[in-house]
Amino acid sequence: MKSKKIYILVLFLLYVLQGLGQKDSVNVLEEVVIDAKLKDFSTGQTIITIPDSLKRGTRPLLTSLLNYNSPIYFKENGLGMVSSPSFRGTAASHTAVLWNGINVNSQLNGQTDFNTINAGAYDQISIRGGGGSVVYGTGAIGGTVHLNTRLSFKEKLENELYVGYGSYNSLDAQYSVKAARGNWSVSLSGAHNSSDNNYLYPNDRGENMNGQFYNNTFNLGVAYRLDPSNIFRLYSGIFSGERHLSLVRPSETRSKYQDAHMRYLLEWENKMSAFTSLLKMAYLKEKYEYYSDIASDNSSFGDAENFILKYDLTYSVSEKMQFSTVLSNTNTKGKGSNLGENSRNIFSVVILMKHRPTEKFSYESGIRKEVTGNYESPILFSSSGIYRFSDLYRLKVNASRNFRIPTYNDLYWTSAGRPGLKPETSWQGEIGNEFKWRQLELNLTGYYIAIKDMIRWLPESGGVWRPRNEDEVHTYGTEAYLQWEKGLGEIQVALRGSYSFTISENQQTGKQLIYVPFHKATFMGQGNFKSWEIEYQLLYNGEVFTRSDNNSRYNLNSYMVSNIGASYTFGKNDNYQLGGRVQNVFNTAYETVENRWMPGRNFNINLTFIF
Amino acid sequence: MMRIIKLLLVVFAAFLFNSCNKDDDTVLEQPSPAGDYVDGIFVLNEGSQSAGTVTFIRSGLQSAEQEIYAAVNDGDDLGNYAQSIFFTEELAFIISGGSNLITVVDRYTFELAGKIDSGLAAPRYGVAVGGKAYVTNQAAWDSSDDDYIAVIDIESLTVEETVIAGSVVEDIIEGNGLLYVQNAAYGSGNQISIFNPSNNTIEGTITTGDGLNSIDIENNMLYALSSGRLESFDLSTHNSISEITSEGLTGAQNLNVENGKIYYTINNGVYFIEATATEPAASPLIEYHSNSDYGVMYGFEVKDEHIFIADGGDFASNSFVQVFTTGGELLETIEVGVGPNGFYFND
Repeated sequence: MKSKKIYILVLFLLYVLQGLGQKDSVNVLEEVVIDAKLKDFSTGQTIITIPDSLKRGTRPLLTSLLNYNSPIYFKENGLGMVSSPSFRGTAASHTAVLWNGINVNSQLNGQTDFNTINAGAYDQISIRGGGGSVVYGTGAIGGTVHLNTRLSFKEKLENELYVGYGSYNSLDAQYSVKAARGNWSVSLSGAHNSSDNNYLYPNDRGENMNGQFYNNTFNLGVAYRLDPSNIFRLYSGIFSGERHLSLVRPSETRSKYQDAHMRYLLEWENKMSAFTSLLKMAYLKEKYEYYSDIASDNSSFGDAENFILKYDLTYSVSEKMQFSTVLSNTNTKGKGSNLGENSRNIFSVVILMKHRPTEKFSYESGIRKEVTGNYESPILFSSSGIYRFSDLYRLKVNASRNFRIPTYNDLYWTSAGRPGLKPETSWQGEIGNEFKWRQLELNLTGYYIAIKDMIRWLPESGGVWRPRNEDEVHTYGTEAYLQWEKGLGEIQVALRGSYSFTISENQQTGKQLIYVPFHKATFMGQGNFKSWEIEYQLLYNGEVFTRSDNNSRYNLNSYMVSNIGASYTFGKNDNYQLGGRVQNVFNTAYETVENRWMPGRNFNINLTFIF
Repeated sequence: MMRIIKLLLVVFAAFLFNSCNKDDDTVLEQPSPAGDYVDGIFVLNEGSQSAGTVTFIRSGLQSAEQEIYAAVNDGDDLGNYAQSIFFTEELAFIISGGSNLITVVDRYTFELAGKIDSGLAAPRYGVAVGGKAYVTNQAAWDSSDDDYIAVIDIESLTVEETVIAGSVVEDIIEGNGLLYVQNAAYGSGNQISIFNPSNNTIEGTITTGDGLNSIDIENNMLYALSSGRLESFDLSTHNSISEITSEGLTGAQNLNVENGKIYYTINNGVYFIEATATEPAASPLIEYHSNSDYGVMYGFEVKDEHIFIADGGDFASNSFVQVFTTGGELLETIEVGVGPNGFYFND
């Protein structure tokens, strides 16, 4: 029902915008603001932006896209089910997800489930490894994932409709429109993804039962330029989805999980001589409902609302030096079946500076302090520098202290939550090497992260389980990204790859954490010839421990999964594209969680219409 | 969120009282059975994210074989949260609460005889009497109104009837033809139901101290251990016979009555008193070493002249059991699977 409404709205807006676009007007210079903080304050770190062309190479949920295009490791309870990331060997709540610069990890459990994000509904998806709490707040330890809406004032009207259909009755539909004229710009997208998800497990192990899911996403961004120095932007994102949680054995109780979120962000950007101020107001709401037995109407729920007020003032002393102060207040109200009703308020002050003393060298520093009644907040900092030795080589260095604050579950779980918990904190550093030679780009990063006071739930006297600041984990390793593009007449070739080596060690036991592979690699090759495009993707995950004592007898095997895709563009203005994809071409039997087998070879055909 | 829900499952699992298999005293008078597992001890390993397994320790304690069910049955597994085992003369019924499943095997060869995979909802403990099996089911976690006893026909391995218990159900044991159902779990409850298997009805209840955690039957007596209290009842009249209420029983669990002695555990200590005693034990017979955060004394059993202790470990790696004499002497420490929770005997 909900999805129907969204599509009617989409059609309506489409009609309105069509009218807008038909009038001619003067072109204005392209002005794209996508999370200026990410662009300006990432000096010592590496940002990888996933090209649009890759988004259609995998399934639409963000787990798939990042699995094949980044070093982030995902634990997935079967296709489309609960998916948690491990970035640089850290825990699921140590990857922060930012939506147009706003931290949207769950207030309830501190994580983002990457199967509740439809990548097709976002204009730009970037990832940045390493610490980022100074700018982005809680959870930015392993790295950050940025989902952004692009709003430019360059006159245009672009509509794109994509429909894909594949094995297990999987439907993937996306529609987006970008329109800009005069002082208005609109970006709108809607996406639907659903699947019966009843694939067969490899080697006659049975069928994936009770795994069906659907989700709908609707994103809207509107920008209005009042005059050259005042721009208003409104972003909104709505998601709702339902997943049945797949069974390992047919006799298990069938359960399902519904989640929804709503996000609104209003921004006012003002430029006055050397000052740029950005006032942001955001309202975020998240909600889940869990039915432990679908035959019964009983469910449990959790629900959190966030009000954020943020003021960001940047002063450019000169072209070479910039200071920025960010004040923000976050008020959260949460409630749930096991949470009672609680609110918390966090006020934070961030001061940032960036300086480029010479053409070759620039550095930045930042500091953050939060004030809240809920926990003792440490002072966070970040410092980085970049030195350009030549056009071929740049050296990047970053050190930072980051944190992950206790979640609502940790603090308020009925008769178990512990209001006195400290945040988890990390000290970390990295050194990055960036090589560029013609169309070849290579990034090599080495990092070390020491996280302490990690929160773990343990029983206490009387058998009540309560969270404690317990664990200490050190993770270190290397990450490599490789990218190469070449045009040879009518042929275009692009190659991308990543490799990561990760040690993630519990300091009490000296053992590697379970479900963190030592090795992960991805590779993508794309070729265009005339109207044809072919693509090959490869994912390699090394074996992982499933036992805390690293008993290798129970390891999940390493695996390599390949996808191939091809598409053909046709039509008068090349505005149709027909494509097909074979996923898991070699029918590899693999699982990312014990007893949670992933699908074998499967197919997808799709049509894109641009108008 | 799912993590928390799973965690809760583990939480619940962690509060389990150890399965005291009450019908392992069956004396076999038939010709000696044949099979690889004729003479020894089964250790049930609950598993965690992984399926449950069974370790077999041969009599004499000198060799142990892991994951015997998978080994005998082509890698098949027992399902999640293996809770307990009960037996008939030929069969073993392995209950996996997380999978609503009972795997039925030949108790001497461990070859699969059948599975009961419908009509169960969070099954816990069972007992076999007169061609039927009676299995307690806790059904939905958030309610005890729906808890029931499933009556299973052993010939067809199907659930024939379900009897709503009216309150939470946990252990079930047989005595003089009647079944005694512990209506207490996770530290609360103070009642034992008397279930008559000839007409599948609950005929009455026995009230115990609060926080009832384990029951046992020996010599025509029903024993009940609750929070700080040990009671006994006459099995024929169901009248109270004796009661010890003492600070010295605070935290006591794992009641086990064997050869006229009452055994129980407090934290990592094993205690015993004579069945006629009026005071709790002054000091432990055994204190074993455990690093487990929540699996200390996760399984406990006294059989003949031996005391068996299972340590839950961290529930994410293989753990161990220890075997002592009833004199308190450590005989062996033996590696088993993930989360060992009970001992069962073939001899």
